Amino acid sequence: MSLLTIKNLKARVEEKDILKGFNLTVNPGEVHAIMGPNGSGKSTLASVLAGNPNYEVTDGEVDFDGKDLLEMAPEERAREGLFLAFQYPIEIPGVSNVNFMKSAVAEVRKHRGLEPFDAKEFLAFMKEKKELVELSGSLAGRAVNEGFSGGEKKRNEIFQMAMLNPKLAILDETDSGLDIDALRIVASGVNKLRSKDNAFIIITHYQRLLDYIVPDFVHVLYNGKIVRSGTKELALELEEKGYDWIKEELAEA
Amino acid sequence: MSEIATKSILTELVSGVEGQVASCKLSQESEAFLAETGIPSKRHENWKYTNIKRLFDNGLTVVKSAFSEQTSVLKLTNTISIGLTNDAVTNQLPSIDGVEVFMADDKTELLGSTGIHQKEELAALNTALFQNALVIRVKKGTNLSSTILLDQKVELKDNAFANSRVLIIVEDGATATFLHHFHGTENSDSSLLNHVTEVFVGQNARLELNYIQEIGEGNLMTTTEVECQRDSNFTTNCIQLNGKLLRNNLNIRLKGENIETHLNGFYMLNSTELFDNHTHVDHFEPNCTSNETYRGILAGRSTGVFNGKVFVHPDAQKTNGYQSNNNILLSDEATMNSKPELEIYADDVKCSHGSTTGQLDEEAVFYLRARGLDEFGATALLLTAFAGDVLKAVSNETLRATLEQKIQDKLNSMRA
Repeated sequence: MSLLTIKNLKARVEEKDILKGFNLTVNPGEVHAIMGPNGSGKSTLASVLAGNPNYEVTDGEVDFDGKDLLEMAPEERAREGLFLAFQYPIEIPGVSNVNFMKSAVAEVRKHRGLEPFDAKEFLAFMKEKKELVELSGSLAGRAVNEGFSGGEKKRNEIFQMAMLNPKLAILDETDSGLDIDALRIVASGVNKLRSKDNAFIIITHYQRLLDYIVPDFVHVLYNGKIVRSGTKELALELEEKGYDWIKEELAEA
Repeated sequence: MSEIATKSILTELVSGVEGQVASCKLSQESEAFLAETGIPSKRHENWKYTNIKRLFDNGLTVVKSAFSEQTSVLKLTNTISIGLTNDAVTNQLPSIDGVEVFMADDKTELLGSTGIHQKEELAALNTALFQNALVIRVKKGTNLSSTILLDQKVELKDNAFANSRVLIIVEDGATATFLHHFHGTENSDSSLLNHVTEVFVGQNARLELNYIQEIGEGNLMTTTEVECQRDSNFTTNCIQLNGKLLRNNLNIRLKGENIETHLNGFYMLNSTELFDNHTHVDHFEPNCTSNETYRGILAGRSTGVFNGKVFVHPDAQKTNGYQSNNNILLSDEATMNSKPELEIYADDVKCSHGSTTGQLDEEAVFYLRARGLDEFGATALLLTAFAGDVLKAVSNETLRATLEQKIQDKLNSMRA
């Protein structure tokens, strides 16, 4: 059974239609890359799937692991195993990363019928996940994202992903603003978390990240729809030729 | 002014004053001041949003309360407790090394020497009417490691009016921490407790004065008048949790060089509560720092008021004065009136002030929900963090934990 099935999804923000009939099926174990020019609807897709209340779904269905995703509150989606790595992670002064993750992990474990961690177990679990993304101890102890560099914020997203162990992770332009070392760390974290049971949707502007996280499928999103799908070679072709040839082909058709 | 004329001003304002007013200089000065000013109405700039006159117009009767043994409702460690009645009378005078504690029944001592009774109307009324004052003198060089808890249980029935008075003297080189806890769940919304604390902080002395105010449906007016001498350090943290009307007047006078003072406040309002904080810091001498942080959360149809003034006098060069007031409104019907003020007559100072009032950051709430916290949990986490900046100034750890719990409890009550 597929993990995520999106049928004819239409969504708008501030009276403007962005997604105009989006279809996608993701199976466990797969990595899908979604590429496309600016304004094509990539980040809207991520926000809608995570349940951002600023976006309005006007049509379509989304089935997530046998459940109606669009009926769920954002926190239910997270507890059911959907994770969004934010393009712009929010700074939350006064809330420590540790306390934040303690609350989040407790909610998710409760929902999944798992015993809560005791303090010692939690610290050991956190230490293991921190090492995965090479997040230093001092960052983990600080307020969530406050005063973090761009790269540190993105690593913190991947750290949170590792802590919450989602079935489906959506990485929204996680590569933007990363230098090559940070990119490698983030990609290696994702690769270590890949398994036959989980899946990833990687939203990106550039092919660069896909050198490190090799996708099973690449889709081109343009004007609110997927206009072309292929394998990793499609990403290379896009890198080489840009998006204009797709736009031209569509105009001719 | 004749005695008969001055007595009449008190009887005009409240009932039950006969036989309560000692004929002494302090009372006469207070009455003379009151005869000129009366009780301030909303036309008075300092009382624009807070109608305290309504309580007087509605009728207030002076009451005296008997002392009954009580145990603190707070579970704090490292604390010496003094149980107080409505009018701050106690028979639980503890014996503390290096500290003198007594009830003063005459008005000649140091009481009134800050001159507050000739500056503010409600303080004048208090000065004319209080019967006993609790005096605590921390003797020169004493380093007090325990917190002194003034545990004031307030129980005022319909139209009841009580005046309580405290004097705290921290002598040169001494260090002390106080918590004054006003609490009560049975107060009438037509009653008023009118409290005054005078504080003297000596040279090189250090004082932390905490307030917790939670008096159910009752009304509470507190005036705190502080004088600091050179090289001293004075911190005050005021946490307001419930009350129909809570009004704090806090005046701090920095009378020497190199004084550091921190004024912090945190308030949480719901339903139709009105909490009002008026602070005034006077910098008279050079090289002093004042740092003020007041924060609040307003829900329901509540009203908050913050008016903070930093006054830098001509001689107070190299003053550092910082002031901020931040508010979060959880409801469309809540109102915050915020007025930070700087008045500067010296030319070499560093001063800043700022005020923000807004809603909870929706993006932050969504971010937390996207990690599995429900909406209330996300909101509570953000609001607790917002309070944290004020609470970190509270040094007694069990007190800080107690306050965190009380804030959590109030958040839970707002959920309903």
